[in-house]
Amino acid sequence: MTSAPGTRPFHVLIVGGGGTGGALAHDLTLRGLHVTLVERGEFTSGTTGRHHGLLHSGARYAVGDAESAIECIEENTILRRICPGTFEENGGLFVAITDEDMEYYDEFVKACADCGIPAQELTREQALAFEPNLNPSLKAAVRVPDATMDAMRMPLRFFATAKRNGADLRNYVEVLDLVVNNRVVSGAVVRDHVTGKVAEISADVVVNATGPWSEKVAAMAGVDVPIRPSPGVMLALRGRLCNMVVNRMHRSGDGDIIVPQRALSIIGTSSWTVDDPEELDVPEDHVQRMYEEGAKLIPDVARAELRSAWSAARPLIGSRGDADTGRELSRTFKTYDHAETDGVEGFVTITGGKATTLRGMAELCADIVCRKLGVEAECRTRETELAPHSEAYAA
Amino acid sequence: MSDAIDERRSRGPVQRKGLGPRPVGWLDPRGRTLGHLAFVGNRITGLGLVFYLYLHLAVLSLLIRGGEAWNDFLELATTTVFLLLDVLLLFGLLYHGLNGLRVTLVGTGYVPNRQKALWWAGAFVGTLVLALSAFRILGES
Amino acid sequence: MSMTIDARTDTDAAGTAAPPAGPRRFRVFRYKRGDERPHYETFEVPVGHRTTVFEALRWIQIHRDRTLALRHSCLHASCGTCGVRVNGKEGLACVTMVHDIGREITVEPIANVPVLTDLVVDMREVFERFPDDHPIVRGSEFLDDADTPDGIASYERYEDCIECGLCVSACPVVVTAERYVGPAALAWGERVLEEPRGAEVANLLSWANAPDGVWRCHAIFECTAACPSGVNPAARIMSLRGTLLGRRLRKQPRGSDPT
Repeated sequence: MTSAPGTRPFHVLIVGGGGTGGALAHDLTLRGLHVTLVERGEFTSGTTGRHHGLLHSGARYAVGDAESAIECIEENTILRRICPGTFEENGGLFVAITDEDMEYYDEFVKACADCGIPAQELTREQALAFEPNLNPSLKAAVRVPDATMDAMRMPLRFFATAKRNGADLRNYVEVLDLVVNNRVVSGAVVRDHVTGKVAEISADVVVNATGPWSEKVAAMAGVDVPIRPSPGVMLALRGRLCNMVVNRMHRSGDGDIIVPQRALSIIGTSSWTVDDPEELDVPEDHVQRMYEEGAKLIPDVARAELRSAWSAARPLIGSRGDADTGRELSRTFKTYDHAETDGVEGFVTITGGKATTLRGMAELCADIVCRKLGVEAECRTRETELAPHSEAYAA
Repeated sequence: MSDAIDERRSRGPVQRKGLGPRPVGWLDPRGRTLGHLAFVGNRITGLGLVFYLYLHLAVLSLLIRGGEAWNDFLELATTTVFLLLDVLLLFGLLYHGLNGLRVTLVGTGYVPNRQKALWWAGAFVGTLVLALSAFRILGES
Repeated sequence: MSMTIDARTDTDAAGTAAPPAGPRRFRVFRYKRGDERPHYETFEVPVGHRTTVFEALRWIQIHRDRTLALRHSCLHASCGTCGVRVNGKEGLACVTMVHDIGREITVEPIANVPVLTDLVVDMREVFERFPDDHPIVRGSEFLDDADTPDGIASYERYEDCIECGLCVSACPVVVTAERYVGPAALAWGERVLEEPRGAEVANLLSWANAPDGVWRCHAIFECTAACPSGVNPAARIMSLRGTLLGRRLRKQPRGSDPT
């Protein structure tokens, strides 16, 4: 930050150390920009680290949200390539249990085909051979390329690679305010919780990648980003009840995914909306419902000991009053160049999306940042193999 | 921000078990289980045995000063209090020896997961031998 | 759904007698870089039947002191970030229930690893104990009762170590032997040995076969007691010793050249 202007690369400040911020730091660093990322807590401590750990094949969204589904299957393929060793590549099953589920079957298989998601139709017996603990009254199942990841360590590999390439990644640094002059954002005032000191970081572009907190951070620059924080409850049960990701074959509902995660089985999720993502409730009735719905897929769920129940807030795009449960909102993402939308220069917001699509989100956002700065650089994240997660903590 | 960065990179304090200088951490029982107890016991008896070795040499050196000094000592050595100390010494020997045997068996990987069972077995054998010996030793006073 | 209720309240089993009502007093370890020495700060925190230590700390962070720094991520004992010592005992804050542990609760960062700030430790020092890039995922461990169907070569799964550092904190040997590589790394080494997948076994063994490697361990098994994932590092260290010993005895029979 001390070298003479003109010789130094552009400096981008990313606010928010979730999957999106990490992937963006990686992408921009590869394009030759100088990147600083600040995160007020541990990396991935907001929404990213709390998700199922499901690498979506896209099948879940194939009926009804083809855009998200196609994003998913593309990114699914890329991530397996650039993050070798990070996924449990056991595949996923969509299981039809009721006659109602079977009505959905043909539509589901066709939608998967339309979106380019490989889907193998299985009989009841074949499905039980894969997963003996499944509800024996299942009618049919479809096998798709879902996979399991570690919700924290997969994104950490983006941080690790960005760090290896020279990005300055700082956890425990909280943005107190943005520096705005004449509708130009030129940096941020931050508190370093490690030293307790307040400092100012200046930047050519500030990117708001704070997920469900995007609205709050955008407000610091005087612009409005319509975000509906939409929490969901998840349960971690002791014991591995399945080896593949088990999904219910119906329109997305509560408690219809079971993801094996190490020696645990994760059931999710419910969905409602809140105004403030800061303090999330874990409603008792949601916990109960996860147990009930999960047991429909794998009966042993009912007898499994609860290891943990928690909530995570999705950053869904939409205004207040748009949705009650959040299920109606698209799972896709959106990037705002606030120069275009609000006449505020030097400020970009990226929000929405999901862990599976973090790289693709970063690519599009990095394109916008580079265009704003007049930098011509190709995205190289599709081919670049990522560093091991532990390097995110290297000196 | 650069000052803050440098400050951040210096190494922070390392928290230890217990208070005060390092080995005291061994004595902090909070949250510890049987394995830790056995370890601390081994350290204490080990130190005790080393102390005894030098004490023993000091006592033997009384012989240099002639028979009378030695006889005086023997008088002292047969008092009940002194014999109780002998029992304590025997406890230290048994504990350290049996625990050492246990750690050796576990630590060479032949029974890598039987440390608790071996501890109780050692405790049983040790207590038995100690009780019988104490009976005989104290019977001499 | 009485069955589910039974299962769910398992962790509450000790407290069918109602948990003590009212707020709990939390004594929290505080340190900012540049402080002369750490200190403890006390907070009264309202708790419910199922409040975890993490939730209580987060409550303090939101309602009492925003500068309190915590590590957390997954909230279900899978990421290993929220390891702390609660009343001196190692545990993951996200699955440690408050009502099991008395009215005054002292929370400190894990021991034997440098403190970055407050309850946050410098994980670099934990990762540096491992010899080189250590993959967290290793395809392995078939389920005994599940024959692998055609089409999937093998079921792959994560290893259970979550790199939380609790074993390093619980190990009394690390207190006085800072350079001891510690339980997590040695357990990892034994795991690789079990299924090398192309890893250089000779290098691994010579790394482990060092005074600060497997031989520094005193078979205390506190790491196994502290491990929240059931990895049993101590037994793995012992097996590693067994392997080293076996190789030594086979390679150098009595009377052979000692070099």
